[in-house]
Amino acid sequence: MTEARYFEPETVDEVVALLAADEDAKCVAGGASLVAMMNARLVEPSQLISLRHVEELQKIELNEDGWLQIGALVRHCDVVIAAELTEGNQVLSQAAGLIANPVIRDMGTIGGSVGHFDPAADYPVALAALGAEIEIAGANGRRSVPAGEFFIDWYETALAPSDLITSIRVPPAPVGSAGIYEKLAKVQGDMGIAMVAVVMAMAGDAINYLAVSVGGCGPTPIRLPDAEQALIGGSVDDAALQDFSNKLVAASDPVDDVRASAAYRKVLIPRFVAQAIDKAKAKLGEAS
Amino acid sequence: MSSSETIALKLNGEVREAAAGPTTTLLEVIRDQLGLTGAKKGCNQGVCGACTVLIDDKLARACLSLAVNSVGQDITTIEGLTENGEPSPLQQSFVDNGAVQCGFCTSGMIVSSHALLQANPQPSIDDVRDGLSGNVCRCSGYRKIIDAVRGVAGD
Amino acid sequence: MASEKTTNEMYQVGKSIPKVDAREKVLGRAQYIADLTRPNMLFGAMLQSPYAHAKIISYDTAAAEEVPGVKFVLTGDDFGDHKMGPFIKDEGAIAKGKVRYMGEPVACVAAEDEATARAAALLIDVEYEELPAVLSPEAALEPGAAVLHEDLADYFKVFEAIAEDNLMSYTEISEGDVDTAWDECDLIVENTYETQAQNHLSLEPCGALAEVEPDGLINLWSANQSVFRVQANVCEALGLPMSRVRSMTPKVGAGFGNKMEAHIQPLCVALALATKRPVKMILSREEDFETVRARHPFKIRYKTGVKNDGTFVAREVELLLDGGAFADDSPGVLGNAALMSMGPYHFPNAKAFGKVAYTNHLRFAAFRGFGNPQVTFAGEAQIDEIADKLGIDPIDLRLKNMLGKGEKWFGGQKVDSNGLQECLEKVRASSDWDNRRKNSGENGVGVSAAGHISGLLATGAIVRMLEDGTFVLNTGATDIGQGSDTVLTQICAESLQIPIENIRTAAPDTDGSPYNWGTTASRVTYTTGRAVVGAAEDAVRQIKDYAAILLESPADDLELREGGMVGIKGANKEVSFFEIAAMTHWGVGGPIVGSHTLVFDQPTIDPKIAVAKGMPFTNIGVFTFAAMVSEVAIDKVTGKASAEGAWYAVDVGQAINPGLVEGQVDGGYAQGLGYALFEEMVWDDGRLANPTLMDYKAPGTAEVPYEIDTTIVEHPEPDGPFGAKGVGEITLVTVPASIANAITHASGVRLRKLPLSPERVLNGLIENENT
Repeated sequence: MTEARYFEPETVDEVVALLAADEDAKCVAGGASLVAMMNARLVEPSQLISLRHVEELQKIELNEDGWLQIGALVRHCDVVIAAELTEGNQVLSQAAGLIANPVIRDMGTIGGSVGHFDPAADYPVALAALGAEIEIAGANGRRSVPAGEFFIDWYETALAPSDLITSIRVPPAPVGSAGIYEKLAKVQGDMGIAMVAVVMAMAGDAINYLAVSVGGCGPTPIRLPDAEQALIGGSVDDAALQDFSNKLVAASDPVDDVRASAAYRKVLIPRFVAQAIDKAKAKLGEAS
Repeated sequence: MSSSETIALKLNGEVREAAAGPTTTLLEVIRDQLGLTGAKKGCNQGVCGACTVLIDDKLARACLSLAVNSVGQDITTIEGLTENGEPSPLQQSFVDNGAVQCGFCTSGMIVSSHALLQANPQPSIDDVRDGLSGNVCRCSGYRKIIDAVRGVAGD
Repeated sequence: MASEKTTNEMYQVGKSIPKVDAREKVLGRAQYIADLTRPNMLFGAMLQSPYAHAKIISYDTAAAEEVPGVKFVLTGDDFGDHKMGPFIKDEGAIAKGKVRYMGEPVACVAAEDEATARAAALLIDVEYEELPAVLSPEAALEPGAAVLHEDLADYFKVFEAIAEDNLMSYTEISEGDVDTAWDECDLIVENTYETQAQNHLSLEPCGALAEVEPDGLINLWSANQSVFRVQANVCEALGLPMSRVRSMTPKVGAGFGNKMEAHIQPLCVALALATKRPVKMILSREEDFETVRARHPFKIRYKTGVKNDGTFVAREVELLLDGGAFADDSPGVLGNAALMSMGPYHFPNAKAFGKVAYTNHLRFAAFRGFGNPQVTFAGEAQIDEIADKLGIDPIDLRLKNMLGKGEKWFGGQKVDSNGLQECLEKVRASSDWDNRRKNSGENGVGVSAAGHISGLLATGAIVRMLEDGTFVLNTGATDIGQGSDTVLTQICAESLQIPIENIRTAAPDTDGSPYNWGTTASRVTYTTGRAVVGAAEDAVRQIKDYAAILLESPADDLELREGGMVGIKGANKEVSFFEIAAMTHWGVGGPIVGSHTLVFDQPTIDPKIAVAKGMPFTNIGVFTFAAMVSEVAIDKVTGKASAEGAWYAVDVGQAINPGLVEGQVDGGYAQGLGYALFEEMVWDDGRLANPTLMDYKAPGTAEVPYEIDTTIVEHPEPDGPFGAKGVGEITLVTVPASIANAITHASGVRLRKLPLSPERVLNGLIENENT
């Protein structure tokens, strides 16, 4: 049994240097994911790097380009109430509000959750729907990875061992859009059986913006931009939706687990997506 | 730092010293070293809520909090919510409403309820259900716990 | 012994006083097993089997022993062939020779701290030779299946077990003649049902602390439901005389059957004996899931025949239980399931039979309801199917066929107190059934009813007057949170007519407490309560004898007066308990000690009425009754059912503390709700796939509706304390069936397999759409 070493750096560069020096080092922020895994002996880090004094990671700010930058250390509870998340971007605050329970939402951070990437987690589904980008600092400097490319496979992300997520960048919400995030879980606060995030805008009866992301039904959130595009300009009609849903089902790759079967998830996807789109439409109707 | 070193924690308004390694949880320190056993280890994964404490007035799971990461913060446990060792009105309301069965969840329930009432002194039934949704009780079915929280609010 | 006073007139009984231990619990000061320490204490940890079934070839403990801080390593080689078990003595303190389930303890370590002990245990290297595993009762009973217990025939059994190879026990009970009765029936319904494994999930994980005194006596504290069963199990498993072990209990963080028989206590004692230092072992949540015990999965076939007017004619029930690797309480669960399988109804022709098989799962055992929730789910669902086919209201059909006054339980035992009719009528009224059932909109409303036992085995009580006239009550009953210390104190206070504060309840301790089989079988209020009344009466007789001297009046002319006084009937002259205590301690007669013991002795089977084979018990208890109505909502998109409300009526004989009765209703409901809707232990080829609270979910505030309505029905049990009988289990028994029936009412979907998951409901909805 070797005891880990503990550091409290103050800058991102210091964190990256520490990570680069030891590939078994782990960053700790809220602890919601990492300490639970340490307690279960699923990870035994050689170094613990506390991020609590790294100022850069703590802020939510609106960038000049209109994108919202959410620091990696921003807690779920603060994402829930972030006033900058408007219109369709509210799928992110809705998703944050469905993570675990109030105490975990007080502790857990967006960077920790995204980096840990449980395929049944809530943020990835919302971020995929929003076309958000994950800002990363690594040994070779900083880079930005679109959510669609960040989540790669079961528990696998674009993060290298020495990478640190510094923030999540969310593009401006499509004008006049509404967002709906839905989650089916065994009990409130559990990891989802399936999740869906819909961002939609309409002009009259016609869809003029649509993004649909499905979670819990494969290794990564499912987005089908071409199929979404095909619905633009049309009305929300059953046949088109059914066709769209069939494509999502075909793209899904769920597994049997302790929460539900793969077969159930495949049955669920079209029903869940249709419901979320209906709700988005209703929400748009209320707004107009 | 590596291996165990002495840290100073602000616990229930007092500075307490303890030995902690980087992976030592706050729950281990307060229970095993500082003798405050009100917070319980029910799952060690942050799910059951029996170890809930306040850190800088925000709810936290002591089992998911690293002791070294808590240095400099104000930590309050169930023992710190008593009034000179006597039950607070909230604690007394748990007694009076029959909200205690085995008692293993009770400390976490009361700490969570305390935070809930600080933020919302007159919670509805659903407010209490939301606020306590991270605390598992296997004995009570929650009804009397909800009554206890709302009972103190009414006073 | 029942009071001559009515509830309203009683002094302490029938009042919802706060629990006597509530204050220390709200202050965070109550001490549970994990909170205890002893000077120079070590910590124990175990290594678990990675195989479901394997021979143990050898151990290499060197690496573990070399870890600084490790004091001792024990393996199966260090243990004799001693065996424990409540029905079949088939279980050692640790795996020896072979492992029989994945997760079974195979070795253990004592070290200076917990982290060292846990890390060192993982360094023990065990060589195995894997054996074929049997992972279902069907597979276990196949000819040629790998046998778990080669020596089953030689094991000591406390009953005439019908057992062979992997058949752990076969039980059969019959009345009348079902085979010919089918011809008399207008309608016969036959279905199969299936139930899952449920974890008790007592919030406190199991643990123990053992210490060996210099003279070799062993002090053992543990989380338990019976200090006496702990003592017996430890001594049987380690080959120790019971006089050498003192078993005690601190506060217990709930037990729903999981802490009744042994968990880690024998290993903990073995480590303390080996190290000659105090050793504490506290299971992690995962270890608790993997090694303690769980509710039996059942496969059930119900065949019920009725007349067109709804009259029940015949029922046949066949059961197949997964018993897991050790018998534990399995034969009893099978026997009780068979006994409860007719429900609280009269069937002139009835037959129940079934098997429990050894498999390579962890042991399945006692869990609130003891086999009854499973059969009630099946039986009560089938009654609704019959009601539907006959066009009869479900409550009416139950009222028509329920056991009436004077009718006997299946097997032939008399039923003295039977409030079932009132339960059904009360719950019909409280739930506004007739209206709610018709006008529930998208929601569904379902009913169920059940009987359950309350009683069983031996118990005692000692009521001891202290020097100042206050009392110590000592029963050996473990309060697991349900409030028995409070209830027994109220019974004692009523019997002595003294304030609650004048009684201290002694903590269970095998050195000082009279025998108490345990806190299980809904028995403490009824059985131990009887002993308390008897002991108090014994004390009162002595009190009056000495008061007679002080009052210079015959004892027969004296009466107890509230507050601890004895007076002369019809006169003001009286003497206080204080004066009586002073006299008996310092002058005449000696200190007053009242005591009483009993063993429950009403026979379960009347051979003139029923034929029974392989019955694991002879005298199981008196009967409690309940009826409940559930309302559910169904999400048509996902199939997820959620509870919207529950109405209960429960016959408790006499509520000693109505608030605590409500607590049992609320808690039994919540636990039953989880069982009905989503709780399930899932195995992946012998490995428990969800042994954590991340993956095994208990109902939270969002799942349990606030609206749980309780009507207490009181049909006094003639020999119960002030008429009381138990309530701990029946409140869970009725839940799955009422919810399944409500789901059918809402959606037309009839599910015969628990849990009633979104997936199963949705499949049913889709099937209905397509037909």
